[in-house]
Amino acid sequence: MTPYLLRRLTLSVFVLWGAVTIVFAAIRLAPGDPAQTMLGATASAEDVSALRARLGLDQPMPVQYGRYLLQAARLDLGDSLRLGQPVTAAIAERIPQTVRLTALAMAIAVLLSFPMGIAAAVGWGKPIDRAISLLSLLGQSVPNFWLGIMLILIFARQLRLLPSGGADTWQHLVLPATTLALPLVGILTRLIRSGLLDVLHEDYIRTAHAKGLRSRTVMTRHALVNMLIPVITVLGLQVGQLLGGAVIVESVFAWPGVGRLLIEAIGNRDYPLVQGAILFITSGFLLINIVVDLSYGYLDPRIRIA
Amino acid sequence: MKTTRRRFLVYTGAGGLGLVVGACAPAAQTTPASSAPGAVGTAARRVPTGEMKIAIPVKVPTLDPHGAQSVEDVTHSVVQHIMETLVRRDASGNLQPLLAKEWKNPDPTTWSFTLQTTARFHDGSKVTSSDVKASLERVVTLKGALAPQFAQVDAVTTPDESTVQIKTKTPIGTLLANMALVPIAPAAQVNVAGFFNKPIGSGPYKVVSWNADADLKLEANPDYWGEPPGLKSLVFRYYPEVAPRVTALETGEIDFTWRLGPDQLRGLQGNADLKIDSVPGDIYYFIWMNSSRQLFADKRVRQAMAYALDVDKMLKDLLPGVAKRQTAPIPSNVFGYAAQTPYNYDPAKAKQLLAEAGVPNGFEAGLIWNPGSAPLDRELLQAMTSYWNAIGVRVKAQEMERAVWIQNLNQLNWDMDFQPNSVTTGDADFTLGRLYHSRANRNGYKNPDLDKILDDAVATVDQNRRKELYAQANKIIWTDAPGIFPFELFSVFVSRKRVTGFVPPASDILSFVNVTVR
Repeated sequence: MTPYLLRRLTLSVFVLWGAVTIVFAAIRLAPGDPAQTMLGATASAEDVSALRARLGLDQPMPVQYGRYLLQAARLDLGDSLRLGQPVTAAIAERIPQTVRLTALAMAIAVLLSFPMGIAAAVGWGKPIDRAISLLSLLGQSVPNFWLGIMLILIFARQLRLLPSGGADTWQHLVLPATTLALPLVGILTRLIRSGLLDVLHEDYIRTAHAKGLRSRTVMTRHALVNMLIPVITVLGLQVGQLLGGAVIVESVFAWPGVGRLLIEAIGNRDYPLVQGAILFITSGFLLINIVVDLSYGYLDPRIRIA
Repeated sequence: MKTTRRRFLVYTGAGGLGLVVGACAPAAQTTPASSAPGAVGTAARRVPTGEMKIAIPVKVPTLDPHGAQSVEDVTHSVVQHIMETLVRRDASGNLQPLLAKEWKNPDPTTWSFTLQTTARFHDGSKVTSSDVKASLERVVTLKGALAPQFAQVDAVTTPDESTVQIKTKTPIGTLLANMALVPIAPAAQVNVAGFFNKPIGSGPYKVVSWNADADLKLEANPDYWGEPPGLKSLVFRYYPEVAPRVTALETGEIDFTWRLGPDQLRGLQGNADLKIDSVPGDIYYFIWMNSSRQLFADKRVRQAMAYALDVDKMLKDLLPGVAKRQTAPIPSNVFGYAAQTPYNYDPAKAKQLLAEAGVPNGFEAGLIWNPGSAPLDRELLQAMTSYWNAIGVRVKAQEMERAVWIQNLNQLNWDMDFQPNSVTTGDADFTLGRLYHSRANRNGYKNPDLDKILDDAVATVDQNRRKELYAQANKIIWTDAPGIFPFELFSVFVSRKRVTGFVPPASDILSFVNVTVR
């Protein structure tokens, strides 16, 4: 176990280094310049080059790269060019919001998709199965921004039940989390349904029934546990994606998360902030993947990690 | 049109003119201290009450008003509640005393300001001349967007605690107006890293918390040296999308917003809970044609492009109630504006001009732009493209991300450019001096006569003389047409009825200091 973790963590450092290197190069290869973007369309060439010098952007690329790596190794990600505050602080400020949103969206997705998936599998071929399959297909296909705006129009504007934007109270969390959760409910329901359909025809399920176990016990102890691995895998990937990819929903609901921070940083060519945000998102992905891999061992004792 | 809900204020050119009278009168003129915010007296001190939430249409990138982004309207709008300037522009554009209770101009290259002695920063320390010096010097050192306005400043001296002297190498006619954009921060802290994450100043509000992507929360400063502000708590919230912003206004989640397009306004006009104020603003559109390229080297071609547009029809169809026809290279409420004869829609004349210039069959031209920075930009561009097409000029619009667009724009890597622009200081120098001087070379247009006029206009402190010079500059730019200037936007402010005391500003810099809520 411990050697396995050590190996994974060592590998992760290399993955992070790779990600930073790619982002470092890509954002600098993109047309557009941070100093020019900050000073706006009417700045003079002298002012732009003065600001470039002050920001250290006039240094040769390898020097900037080496300096950045040395800094990053000490967990100093530099200062955001546009915000003027340390990148770590800017990201740390938004992590709680992103985590709250992701956690609630995941909770909603899990709480809805399991009952729906089980109901569809148990009622295979019946109207309830078809209704649930149709709903989950819809959930998966509806574009996020449209869904978000519809929810605002219905629950904020018409019914006046929930606020339309901001991040003050738990009420502010409901609409964005629901918007993020619904497509996920679609994916997970379909996954759970087809996974269950596979295992429900296995011999050991018939044996369990024959032993006289209650259907509920057969379902939870024998069927569900054995199809959880793909579900956990997808869930893990989705959490990773939400950590940085909830941009559209964050914009619609004026939610101050990491995704919007990253998108605006890219728009402003705020190099250190882009690099820092990507580092954070990559770390999140790596961490979740490790957790997911470890969970395989618990779910299926045949898988031995170590 | 349901215009009854809209209180329509027209300041005409008087706003700009007032600036002359109130501000930079001849040598040794002083100003009365009576209009300072602290002058109301102790008898009826207002008690700040209630909370107001304001939806800002663009993100506040930073609370540092001195650095790279020192001319952003929205930064100044929020920062002026926290930090104060020596002078402030009032709603009619006149400069009024704030931290400076009076000022003198003993000779054309010397400005002497006497500070209020009662002003205190949020930490209790006194606002002194060295704080003014440090703040102004910071603007100059950081070489941000405002710094060129102070390029001629020679030295800032502090003869005593309450006197600041600014010596300039040549006379600067815009110095006083530009000081209204230099918020004063405490000298001892202003250069400390992280200061601007939670800055302090001498203003009526203190920062409670700031998150660049979301909310700026302010609370009334109980020890404010002047008349206490109207609100106990003031929240600025950024909404990236317009539809949720409008919904939040309708549901009462927010109390105030501005910069809405005609579509949104139409939907709000019948709403009895809302009040809409519309005033001439300092934002306008222009289309530049690169005079340094063969295509647009001949001014007759550029004029033809202007005659080809039916501006009145575009206004009526696309911008009803939010813009008016522009009649100079700068909007009508800017100091130095002088009305010119409009290029009336005349496609026949446009074709004739093209023929005279040797391109009777038109040509193809590229146009760069960055969408989303002003209302209806895409629709306007589509309309203009079809008008130009009608005279044989096939304009190929190339949409660009902001960073890429700015880079191309500054490298003169374009035939045509379409964009909104704003005259943040409210003075013609800010726009004409920066954009049309040969030295600036922003659109390929070079004219030594114009350069001379622009140089003279900035180097004189006699505001009437400056106005005459800018009238000449307006005429030259309008006639030579390095650009087309079709529309100036109104500033439209929408508030819920519970909000009282908001006065629409002459610029896009908004103050809520005297606003109260029921």
